[in-house]
Amino acid sequence: MAVELAERRTILDDEESIFPLDLETRIPKIRELYHMASAKQWDPKADIDWHMFDPSAYTEEQRFAARQYWSRRAWSEYGAISESPMLQIRFCHDKCEPDLRLFFTIRSQEESRHAEACYLMAQALGGYMEQPVQADYEGSVATHGVRKMALDPSISVEAILAALVCAAEEIAFDVFRHLVNITRDPVANQICTRIMRDEVRHCAFGWRFLDHRIPHMSPDEIKVVENAVVTMMEKVELNGYHSAWLAPDNPASRAEMEVDRLTWEAGLGSTIEELEKPLFVDTVQRIRRQMEPWGVHLPLFNHPKIGEF
Amino acid sequence: MQLTSIPVEKRFPLTLRQSISSIRELYEVGKEQRWVPHQDINWDALDFSGLDEETRRAASLTWSRRAWIEYASLTETPALLVRLCLEAGRESDPKYFLTVRNTEEAWHIECCHRYAKALGGYIDRPSEKSMESVFNQNRYRKVLDAKCHTDAFLMVHAAFEDNLELVLYRAYLLNAVEPVARRILEQFVQAKERHVEFGWLYAHERSALWTDTDRQAIAEALRDHLLQVELRGYHCPWLADPGGAEARALAITTKAGLGAISAAEEQQVFEANLEDMQARLAELGVSLDLSGIIPLTRD
Repeated sequence: MAVELAERRTILDDEESIFPLDLETRIPKIRELYHMASAKQWDPKADIDWHMFDPSAYTEEQRFAARQYWSRRAWSEYGAISESPMLQIRFCHDKCEPDLRLFFTIRSQEESRHAEACYLMAQALGGYMEQPVQADYEGSVATHGVRKMALDPSISVEAILAALVCAAEEIAFDVFRHLVNITRDPVANQICTRIMRDEVRHCAFGWRFLDHRIPHMSPDEIKVVENAVVTMMEKVELNGYHSAWLAPDNPASRAEMEVDRLTWEAGLGSTIEELEKPLFVDTVQRIRRQMEPWGVHLPLFNHPKIGEF
Repeated sequence: MQLTSIPVEKRFPLTLRQSISSIRELYEVGKEQRWVPHQDINWDALDFSGLDEETRRAASLTWSRRAWIEYASLTETPALLVRLCLEAGRESDPKYFLTVRNTEEAWHIECCHRYAKALGGYIDRPSEKSMESVFNQNRYRKVLDAKCHTDAFLMVHAAFEDNLELVLYRAYLLNAVEPVARRILEQFVQAKERHVEFGWLYAHERSALWTDTDRQAIAEALRDHLLQVELRGYHCPWLADPGGAEARALAITTKAGLGAISAAEEQQVFEANLEDMQARLAELGVSLDLSGIIPLTRD
C-alpha cells in the first residue's frame, strides 16, 4: 500500500472534542433537504424498468461506445463515494451546523445509488469497464481533489462547498437536465431523471449553506471562497472532469469525444460538444451572477474550445 | 509533532462488480428496508404528561447519551469508507453497504435526539467532565492513519461493538413499554442486525488472508477497546461509576418502561456477549484474552 507522507498539518492531526454536542436544527432549509432526501429514496435495482432495455435496438459500435460512456459516469459518481465522505468528517471536525452532518450521510448514499445505476447500465450494454480504454484519459477523470481540500484546515468549508457544489455540481446538474431532454432510450432516460432529482437537492444544499454563511464572513474569507471556485473551474471542470471535449486535446480525449458522439446519436445518454458548449457557458455565467451578491467575483475564463467567456 | 500520513488511492482499475454476494445482499436489503424517521415514527403519540420531572430528566439523559454514542458513526463510517477506497483491491460491496449504514446511523441520532427533546430537553454533554474523553475517541483519525490495521478496526467496531449494541438494543426493546420508544428501538434493532451481519461476514471473508501477526493485532485491538472504552462506561455507564448520574438515570428510565434495562441486566447481557464474541473470534483463529475483564464488577 502506497502511503503519502504528510508534509503539512491536516485535520487528522487535531484532537477533537465532540462536546457540547449540538444536534438542533440550525439551518432549517438544509434540515428540510435532509428530510426530503430521506423520504425520496430510490433503489436502482427496483425502481428502474430494466426490462424495457432492448440492446438489439443498437449496433455493436453504439453499445460499445455507450458502455464506455456509462462506465465513465460510474467512475465520476464513485468519486463522491471515495472522496466526498471526507467532507462529512470535516463538518464534524469544524462543528458545522448539525444539518450538514446529517444531510451528507444520505448524500453519500445517493452517490452510491448513482454509481450503481451507471454500473448496471454499462453492464446491460455489454459490460462495465474498470478503466478508460485510453490510459491517458485517467488524469482527467481520476479526482476532483475534494478529499485533499477537506483534509486541509486552511481551506474553509465554505470554500470547498462553493467550489464542489455551487460550481462543479451545478454544472453537472445542468448537463443532467439536458440529458433528460435528449436521451431517447427509456432506461437511460430513467437513470438520468432519477440522478437529476437527487442532484437538485445536492445543489440546493450548497447554495443554501453559502446563503446562510456569507453574511457572517469577512472579505478575506470570501476571497478564499472565490479562489476555490476559480481553481475548481480552471483545474477540474475546464480540464474535462465532467466533459471529454473540455479535456486537453490529445488522442485519448478525442477518442472519448467519439464515444460521446456515438452514444448521443444512439440516444443512450450522452451529449456532444456542439450541444453542451452553449449550455456550459450559460451555466458558468449563471453561477457567476448568483455568486456576485456574496461578493464572489468570478473572472472571465478561457478555454481553447470556447474562447473567453 | 508527527503528522498523520494517509494511504494513496490508485483509482483504476475501479472494480464495481459484486464480489461478496452476502454483503451485496445486505446492501440490497438495507435499501428495501428504508424508512423515514419523521414520518414512520408517530411522534404525535408521545405523551409524557404522566411522568414526574425526575423520570423525564433521567430518561432524557439516557436517550441523549445514546445520541452521543450513535454520533461516533458520523465520522467513523465515512472514514472507514474512505479508507476502504484508499486501499487497492477492496471490494465494492462493503463500500456500498457503508453508505446505507451511515444514513441509518444518522436516523438513529435524529431519533435519540428527538426523543430526548420530547422528554424535556436533549442534554449536550456528559454529567461529569471526566466522562467526555470516553466519547472523544477520534476514530476517524485512527482509521485514516496509514498505520491503522484496517481489519482490526473493522473487527473492533463493525463486528464486536455493533454486536454489543445489537444485544443491548434488543434487551432495551424487550423491556420498553412506551410505544414510541418501542417503535424506535424496533428500527434500531432491524438496522443493527444488518450492521452486525456485515461485520462478521466481512471478517469471515478477510480471515482467509490473515497471518498470525494480523490475528495478534486484532486480538490486541479488541482487548484495548474493552479496557479503554467499554470498561470506562461507554455503553454501560455503571461500569464507570455505578453511583453516577447516568447510571442512576438508567435505573429510572428502566423502571418507567422508556426503553432501558437495569445495570444488573446490562451486566448479564454484556458478559454473555463477551463470551459469545470470544467463541466467534476463536473460529477465526483470534484469541481474545478476557482475563481481568470478566466477571465484571458493579461496585
